Amino acid sequence: MSVTSSPSETETTTHPLQEFADRVAGVVGGSAAITFDTVKISVGSDDWVSAHTAVRDDLDLVFFSWLSAVDWANEVEAGDALSDEVEERIEMLTTVADLTEGHRVTFSTDLTKDSPSIASLVNVYSGANWHEREAAEMFGIEFIGHPDPGPLYLPESFIGNPLRKSYPLLSREVKPWPGDVDVEPMPDSDEPSTENPEA
Amino acid sequence: MTTDQDYVRHLSDAQVSVELETEDMTLNIGPQHPSTHGVLRLVARIDGERCYDIKPVIGYMHRGYEKLSEVRTYPQITALVNRIDWVSGYANEIPFIVAAEKLMEIEVPERAQYIRLILTEMARVSSHLIFMASYPLELGAATPLFFALRDRERILDLIESVTGGRFHPNFNRIGGVKPNAGAGPTQKKTPQDLPSGFLAETRDAMDIVLASVDELETLVAGNEIFLARTKGIGVLPPEVAASYGVSGPNLRASGVKFDLRKVEDYLPYDRFDFEIPVGENGDCWDRWWVRLAEIRQSATIIQQAIDSLPSGALQAKVPKIIKVPKGETYVRAENPKGEMGYYLVSDGGLGPYRLKIRSASFSNISILPWILEGALVPDLIAIMGSLDFVLGDVDR
Amino acid sequence: MIEFITDLFANFWVSLGGKLLLVALMVPLFGMVFGFAEMKLSAKMQSRIGPYFAGGRWGWAQLIADGVKFFQKEDLIPAAADRPVFKWAPIPVLVGTVALFVVIPFGPGLIFYDVSVGIFYALAISSLSTIGVLMAGWSSGNKYSLMGGLRAAGQLIAYELPLVLAVVGSVILAGTMSMSGIVEAQIEAGYPYVIFQFVGFGIFMIAALAELTRIPFDMPIAESELVMGYVTEYSGFRFLFFFLAEFANMFTMSAIAATLFLGGYWLPFIPESTLEFAGPVILMGKVFLLVFTMIWFRWTFPRLREDQLQTLAWKWLIPLALINIAVTAVFKVAF
Repeated sequence: MSVTSSPSETETTTHPLQEFADRVAGVVGGSAAITFDTVKISVGSDDWVSAHTAVRDDLDLVFFSWLSAVDWANEVEAGDALSDEVEERIEMLTTVADLTEGHRVTFSTDLTKDSPSIASLVNVYSGANWHEREAAEMFGIEFIGHPDPGPLYLPESFIGNPLRKSYPLLSREVKPWPGDVDVEPMPDSDEPSTENPEA
Repeated sequence: MTTDQDYVRHLSDAQVSVELETEDMTLNIGPQHPSTHGVLRLVARIDGERCYDIKPVIGYMHRGYEKLSEVRTYPQITALVNRIDWVSGYANEIPFIVAAEKLMEIEVPERAQYIRLILTEMARVSSHLIFMASYPLELGAATPLFFALRDRERILDLIESVTGGRFHPNFNRIGGVKPNAGAGPTQKKTPQDLPSGFLAETRDAMDIVLASVDELETLVAGNEIFLARTKGIGVLPPEVAASYGVSGPNLRASGVKFDLRKVEDYLPYDRFDFEIPVGENGDCWDRWWVRLAEIRQSATIIQQAIDSLPSGALQAKVPKIIKVPKGETYVRAENPKGEMGYYLVSDGGLGPYRLKIRSASFSNISILPWILEGALVPDLIAIMGSLDFVLGDVDR
Repeated sequence: MIEFITDLFANFWVSLGGKLLLVALMVPLFGMVFGFAEMKLSAKMQSRIGPYFAGGRWGWAQLIADGVKFFQKEDLIPAAADRPVFKWAPIPVLVGTVALFVVIPFGPGLIFYDVSVGIFYALAISSLSTIGVLMAGWSSGNKYSLMGGLRAAGQLIAYELPLVLAVVGSVILAGTMSMSGIVEAQIEAGYPYVIFQFVGFGIFMIAALAELTRIPFDMPIAESELVMGYVTEYSGFRFLFFFLAEFANMFTMSAIAATLFLGGYWLPFIPESTLEFAGPVILMGKVFLLVFTMIWFRWTFPRLREDQLQTLAWKWLIPLALINIAVTAVFKVAF
């Protein structure tokens, strides 16, 4: 779901990151979008490793910031459902940056929901090791070629992938939310009482 | 950069234990750790004095922030988020609030931005003073602890006078900082938004902090034994650091002159004049020294900001019930521990659809297996202390 | 009446009993005084107050209260411990300390027993405490105590040599090993030996700090950083023995240093006839100065790593001490 910030109609007010975004697109292929000051580029899941290698070597983006995923689902067990229907998928995200000018790129690729798997980035950036382990246990993604798979945060006996939208929150199952919230109005305001907005 | 280490897992029984030196034995350090770091467990194979195959075991403090933020509203998340890196409480809220404001396309008033900047820099000084206190203590010198904490109390009192909380300020609101109570259409005269005397006292406190930093430098930096314990220990080359995602003072100690305050625009740092301290070798000594120099720079930034504080509103006009429109963005900030960022995926609801929290210490300690390989047991303590991590930041 | 008392004490056994009683009182007394001094001085250095409540404003009764507390605690012996060794381990440590009081000259003739090889006896007896440390580490049934004990053993043995070699310079200058003989030699010479033996004095103080396992040499104790190394499993009055032994040993080491290097109970401009009364006071003053320095070091420095510690002993202190002996001998013979 990338939203391009609207470039204005005249040529002179292009986004300051546009030039860098074009360079990224040139190196990786495809087109880069700028979403609220973040350069985001979509690649195919087969080009995952090569895209990262390319920006690391050609654009000097040597700093590995993070790797994670978003679970796009139409039915959620906890929290609010999406306002529009989306194609259900797991979107892998990484962010890499450079250490001179502060450029950064967010890579995105889509994986299928059942048994998502993708090549591991450990040989490109060493920092991907722990981030991939966390994504694996939280989303159920398999990273092919990861040297040391296994849970990072969760105990070995844990069942389930907590950050999937299909994973319920036990406290919400047990007790309805938001429940009765007793909020008094502020002392000398004549505004209506601030009820719990989620009610 | 590839690492070709063979990670052999020895998970021995979970014993509450501390340092132990034996031959060819699997050792458990932690999860009780005698310092402010928290519940970190290291499983290592010790051969004589040397450690091999270090495996950090984390997650003892995993609180599930990312799942939690999917079921909370934006103001509620602001209250939660300053508990990630509890030593520098205020600084954790900033990138999240800026991300939400970016998606809402709100312009934050200048006065609010300056106040945010002052409080963030005070959080940075506070966090580095904790480091100044605890690191010599791990090496055996007990006295800098008291000096550094005494001055930190001053800063915490000042933060408390403004925000109401020493460690968890919860002072940011979408669109600015917390407006003073009772402000609004019913208010007849402009109340003071900062407590009276706060600005003058903060200025004086920064002078005291600068003097105290000089004292700490004389006491600790000139000490031969401290130098012998930290120079040349735990050298971190900059390429390895970048590949692992190590950021903040740890990265700058390795010689990389890079500070997010200079390149990102989440707060108006470009109006102030400050330097970026950089180390040379990337050993424990440089990591200590960079943080000491950063305290000085932060104190000067605060004084400059106080002198040029503009007047104005404290919060932009925002609806009472905050709904952030659809969009995604990643905002990162220079936290005292390193780069902290939030990737906010919003669907137009009351809370985020997905919030990815990039915490600094998580990446900082992913380097432990690499950097502790072959280290002596006392050096293990020295290196871990110099990375300055907090388990809340690691485990989120 | 006076005659009766002097006749009574002329009896060997009565005077022996009196001396034993005096030593038995002095050891805990000095332990408490210097322990309290450490608490208050460290507090002052760290902008704190220190003990405040016990005994009124100054908290002077703090250590008395601590002593009573330790005594009334349960006598815990771990199940895996080697019971007889565990119980007997504090004894060599305390004996090694108490036996040193015998040869300290508090004034001219005010010495419990003037052994003719005084300093030799003192150094030999003080190394007895190493055995106690090893016994404590071994018998606790705790892996960490064992390793703390072994590290302590390595450190204590390593620093025995500089300790011994450092005093040889003074012995050469004095020409006798008897402690009161050394003080009398300094009185005769007219200057304390530290003026020429400053190297020996420095080495002796450093080695004494290491023998006491105080910071900067406290790897064996603070190695575990929470628990106390070889004294981990000790609680109650057994721990009190170790605790008292440390502080009493601070006194004895400082007293030996004061005797050998600083002139003992003598000051240059004090008339000798008053030394019988002023002597103990002067000695206590010098001892207090040295103990203050030890406390000051403890709270200022971080601790040395074990290998750095051993390097210091073997590669620096021993060669320096040997050179000191050689130079002193040359000067003594030539001039």
